[in-house]
Amino acid sequence: MQTGEQTELHITDSVQVDETTRVDTMTINMGPQHPSTHGVLRLIVTLEGETVVKTVPDIGYLHTGIEKTAESKSYFQTLVMTDRMDYLAPLSNNLGYSLAVEKLLGVEEMPRKAIYARVLLVELQRIASHLVWLGTSALDLGAQSVFLYCFREREMILDIFELVSGVRLMTSYIMPGGLQADLPPGFDKKVQEFLDIFPERLNEYHTLLTNNQLWLERTKGVARLSKEDAIAWGTSGPVLRASGVAWDVRKMFPYAGYEQFDFDIPVGSNGDVYDRYLVRMLEMAESLKIVKQALDGMPDGPYQISDRKVVPPPKWAVATNMEALIHHFKLYTEGYRPPKGEVYLRIEAPKGELGYYLVSDGTARPYRMHVRAPSFANLEALPHMVQGELLSDIIAAIGSIDIVLGEVDR
Amino acid sequence: MAETTKDLAVTTVEAVRSKFGEAVLEVVEHRGETTILLPPDKVPAVATFLRDHPALRYNYMADLTAVDWPEREPRFDVVYHLLSMETRAVIRLKTRVGQPGEEHPAVPTISHIWPTANWYEREVYDLFGIAFTGHPDLRRILMPEDWASHPLRKDYPLTGVELPEPHWGGQIPLDQALPEGIGRQTMRITQSRPPTPPRPEPEPGE
Repeated sequence: MQTGEQTELHITDSVQVDETTRVDTMTINMGPQHPSTHGVLRLIVTLEGETVVKTVPDIGYLHTGIEKTAESKSYFQTLVMTDRMDYLAPLSNNLGYSLAVEKLLGVEEMPRKAIYARVLLVELQRIASHLVWLGTSALDLGAQSVFLYCFREREMILDIFELVSGVRLMTSYIMPGGLQADLPPGFDKKVQEFLDIFPERLNEYHTLLTNNQLWLERTKGVARLSKEDAIAWGTSGPVLRASGVAWDVRKMFPYAGYEQFDFDIPVGSNGDVYDRYLVRMLEMAESLKIVKQALDGMPDGPYQISDRKVVPPPKWAVATNMEALIHHFKLYTEGYRPPKGEVYLRIEAPKGELGYYLVSDGTARPYRMHVRAPSFANLEALPHMVQGELLSDIIAAIGSIDIVLGEVDR
Repeated sequence: MAETTKDLAVTTVEAVRSKFGEAVLEVVEHRGETTILLPPDKVPAVATFLRDHPALRYNYMADLTAVDWPEREPRFDVVYHLLSMETRAVIRLKTRVGQPGEEHPAVPTISHIWPTANWYEREVYDLFGIAFTGHPDLRRILMPEDWASHPLRKDYPLTGVELPEPHWGGQIPLDQALPEGIGRQTMRITQSRPPTPPRPEPEPGE
């Protein structure tokens, strides 16, 4: 194809179906207010009897223009918006953004305490995100009690977040250059409490679901995605691993000090809803291992880098030291100016590969911020997964890919 | 590990150079990431070559987006982030389109090479107005279907004074505004607001 030669734009649907051979199809609308669509996802489903012929996702109901808004905010202010994308895993978003800004700034050294605290909190966040997924996807398939149990344990994690940052959901606790504040006293006790209680609770979930005949019938062999398709459709995270691809950014491109921790990557083989379930269940146990290591090895020392051009000076210094006051003033009125350039930084968020593409033009505001949201690509693979399945399996499939529409629409 | 990634990027650049010699306009390395700048019509060929290259096998398209540089000519960067799940190689391809006066600059699609590019290209079309020729389903994806403009372009304002207000989920072009009623009132209020003055950029340095 040559450039400049404007070919006609086809306004058709993504999945091509030979309509002439279908005599008895019905098109129904699922969402955007359907409780099983996990937010505001609308699916236009063409059915033949109960069999799905075609699914066309309609997204954008939660589009808030975060990428556009970021262009008018300083790097420091943009951090706060990253919480709001994947609102079930705000700390992972914070980490991805912070690492991208640090790469843009050329920050090389990070205090050990910041590294350990970041990894610990992000892994707790992974457990919390998986707990919401487990509760809601089980609820969609009719298992009500699992939902209540999952939220009980998630509450413990949110309490830890509240302890460190004062906020339960939108923490913004991880920031470029380290952490917003030092870990509070009593933090290790609280995490230890969770570590003591959670393995037992995880077993409880396994008892409820893993060998449950009803659960197996609803999930085994449902919404399959082959290894080749999973890669070609750009899926990532547990969806990709359930299809048999041993790929985890934490292992493949270690970031934020993950190479210092010992953990395994659960990989499935069938690529169905059950394997996605099992991969996430096993991942929670692995995350727990990391949390334990991070807590045991948590060093003392600074929780931020010492570069006052990036992180604000402590409050006591602002009141007594002229230089600190100037740094404080410059940071909060203008912010820092990374050199011209662009970076793409990927991390393994609970839902898959979260990428931040930041372009700096040398000013104090990001010239362009693009977020490669894992849910976006995972949702794109949904029509492919459910083609030829039953209508009720769409519910199981949506639950199994664990999407957050705030992140899909940004 | 970092060595290997770097070596693979070097190998990639060499492979593309030896196959498409004059098509490689520029190779940039910044913060350990390698970017190959290509003319738009060469993108699908290079992408296919990288996907099928026996030693590199870029089988995963991680991200596709665009950047608007309104003062520059051509105006838009279209950016592709490729990844190989077999060799752990990463590369960024970039192409530049958008001559002055061109409403919807065209780039050939790569959605037949990696199907995941389908939605990413729709997103870039929606938010930047870049048309991907050969795309099977080029519709808006995030904005309402009847939206008239492309919000991530730099000339799209953050506060709506130059543009008509959204109405019933869509956007009414100024000349088609309703003669009376809610739409009309909304427009009048909008237009009477003074335009926001541009914020001056602070001086560089301390």
